[in-house]
Amino acid sequence: MNLGEEPVIEISGLWMNYSDRMVLRGIDLAVYRGQIIGYIGPNGAGKSTTVKIMLGLVEGYNGTVRIFGKDIKSGDATYKGRIGYVPEVAEMYDSLTAREYLTFIGELYGLPHEAAEAKARRLMALLDMERVYDKRIASYSKGMKQKVLLVSSMLHDPDILFLDEPLSGLDANSVMVVKEILATLAAKGKTIFYSSHIMDVVEKISSRIILLDGGELMADGTFAELQERSTEGTLESIFNRLTGFDQYRDIAGEFVAAVMDGEAG
Amino acid sequence: MNDFYSLKLLDRMEGLIRRTGVDYRTLRLILQTKLTMDGRRTPTVMAANRKDTEASSGSPLRVHWIYLLFGLVLIPFVVVKGSYIFTMGLTFGLLMFLISTTLISDFSAVMLDLREKNILHTKPIDKRTLNMAKSIHILLYLMSLTLTIAGPSLLVSLFSQGVVFFLLYGAGIILLDCFILVFTALCYLVILRLFDGEKLKDIINYVQIVLTVGLTVGYQFVSRLVSFSLLDTSFTPDWWYYAIPPVWFAAPFEWFVGGNGNAATTALTLLALAVPLLLLAAYIRLMPMFERSLQKLAAEEAGGRDNGVLARRLSAFFCQNRQEATFFRFTWSMMKNERDFKLRTYPTVGLSMALPFIFILNIAQGSGGVSSLKSSPGYLAIYGTALLMMTVVQMLRYSVSYKGAWIYKALPLQPGALISRGVLKAAVLRLLLPVFAVEAVIFTVLFGPRIIPELGTALLALLLYSVICWRIFPQALPFAEKYEQASRKEFTGISFLLLFIMFGFGLLHYLSTRIPAGIVIYSVILAAANVWGWRSAFGNKTLQGERAAGAGV
Repeated sequence: MNLGEEPVIEISGLWMNYSDRMVLRGIDLAVYRGQIIGYIGPNGAGKSTTVKIMLGLVEGYNGTVRIFGKDIKSGDATYKGRIGYVPEVAEMYDSLTAREYLTFIGELYGLPHEAAEAKARRLMALLDMERVYDKRIASYSKGMKQKVLLVSSMLHDPDILFLDEPLSGLDANSVMVVKEILATLAAKGKTIFYSSHIMDVVEKISSRIILLDGGELMADGTFAELQERSTEGTLESIFNRLTGFDQYRDIAGEFVAAVMDGEAG
Repeated sequence: MNDFYSLKLLDRMEGLIRRTGVDYRTLRLILQTKLTMDGRRTPTVMAANRKDTEASSGSPLRVHWIYLLFGLVLIPFVVVKGSYIFTMGLTFGLLMFLISTTLISDFSAVMLDLREKNILHTKPIDKRTLNMAKSIHILLYLMSLTLTIAGPSLLVSLFSQGVVFFLLYGAGIILLDCFILVFTALCYLVILRLFDGEKLKDIINYVQIVLTVGLTVGYQFVSRLVSFSLLDTSFTPDWWYYAIPPVWFAAPFEWFVGGNGNAATTALTLLALAVPLLLLAAYIRLMPMFERSLQKLAAEEAGGRDNGVLARRLSAFFCQNRQEATFFRFTWSMMKNERDFKLRTYPTVGLSMALPFIFILNIAQGSGGVSSLKSSPGYLAIYGTALLMMTVVQMLRYSVSYKGAWIYKALPLQPGALISRGVLKAAVLRLLLPVFAVEAVIFTVLFGPRIIPELGTALLALLLYSVICWRIFPQALPFAEKYEQASRKEFTGISFLLLFIMFGFGLLHYLSTRIPAGIVIYSVILAAANVWGWRSAFGNKTLQGERAAGAGV
């Protein structure tokens, strides 16, 4: 099977509503090997819902989602063994130590205990986390927790990575390391689905950018293609224009006025 | 991670579990991890940099001493021979009451847990295994709890009643556990299906409260069996016997041990066997639906619109200090909004409302009718509402959003006294006073207006009691710790002490009514003690972060 031609992820006609409102309105999307997708959009645009549907966390959608060529509605969870996930909220069993947690996750992905432990230790050491490897995750700083999440998502050498704000809390040096890791993984044929609100990063690392607003795809293409279609120079300004947001200066001005207004706030 | 004894037991059943299509290796792994976590305490914000070594104590599988005590109480019931429908009905009634209330208050969180969605459901594990892991996790606790309560009497029954009795009792306990677990889960399922979002969470709350109160009242029914079955050796049940599960479980004893096999005992025995098994089958079938519906709980919430006028007025009236008033309002809204707090506290609110009436009911039965109440001191049962303060003060330290407690350190706050007083005042005004008011009105109707002055005295005592509760429990900042079953158990001793103090107040009240002008003197003393208590009990005590957090850890 030549994965280079077949899409790794294929979404067609995806609709989703939560009790009263539509979150996704007919998403069509095909993602291929080796792509780094920058998945962007304002809060509540439906980004995490899409990802959660693909992970089988949310059910009750309309449309089809095929991952590795298989419809995920079948209920077979084995495809998840080839996916890594870094959720937006750093939810972990944080009363465990990193060693315990990562070994546990590795084993859930089907690695033997010793292999999971050894690999977790090696990856953590590379991220400069050897010192706290046997400490409880609850005592970690935000950046350290993020590193644990990153390692836990890659332990099993997945073919697709879903990353939701994967750089949050990381220091500048770690950011460089992780960006490089992602680029290298993509070059080796892995697919990366990268959601973030930090446009500079998305602009730099994504090979393809997808903008979602109000549950619909507003733009899809490389950064260069998006630039061609508009007059603005940065992804941030393209984002602002596509989501119809232009009064940031006024709002900022009013905000500062309110802050400095003593009692009025 | 340690290897748990309970898991080794589970290994014995590996074949059986595998046959249901579950991935046993994964199942065991998940359970092992969960048990490890349960044995640990998540350090609070303030105690984050404490040593790790000491915190691994407190496994929830440790013996629950208070339950063991209940277990000893059961022994006489299994020693007595004859009228098994009564003795065993009572035994199963007590078991059911204790187990269900604990299940609802402590394991609802496990049942309705959403955290594992992100962690476990994104892994290549099939749903069946995940569901099984969850069920067994709860079941393990349920079993350890049951064994603590029923264990002593089970052991004694082997010697006093023989093997048949012993086996029946053992089987009955297991069926009872299944029944309770599945029944609770199915209740949740129905609610999850019927309601949405915010309302759903509120309804769950109310159902928990209603269940707890219902169990308490229902238990009273079981003890009513006395009058019927002791008179009557050939057991012929009323229709409503069939509606009381403990009677089902008691029926086989009447049949096989007591030798009273008739249509009624046969029917009841069949109920005891069939209902739990049928429910279990339904539960296994419906479990996927349960998990799907659970997602509803994660739906985004629309914030309440309360503008806090009431809290503002009350705080302005009852608090002189600005910071105290701030904490009054803070506590007020936290108590109102935090479901976790309500879940753990409101059942006790319900209980403390019901308890006095149960006392009274027993008095009325013993001495012939409601008319005799008018002259009895039964109204002292209103001291039972003190139970509420005991729980509330204990619970005020916990919160799901305990991590928000960093504000206590970051903000320019005065030392603890003002915080504590504001918090306690809010608790008294929001929970104790309304409950007290309702009871007072009903009591006045029941006992006549003569008790009104004495209710005033009781109120003074309860206010003083609130301060005492606050002082006796280890000091802590409000809503600053994570609720964990294990940590709560450490308060058992204190709770007992407070229970005695509660009885002490009631007794003093009773004695003071026996001597002329005694009640006036008692009231004056209480009033003075209140003034002193509310002024200075908080005064010299500062809530240092480390100490406050350390106290609960």
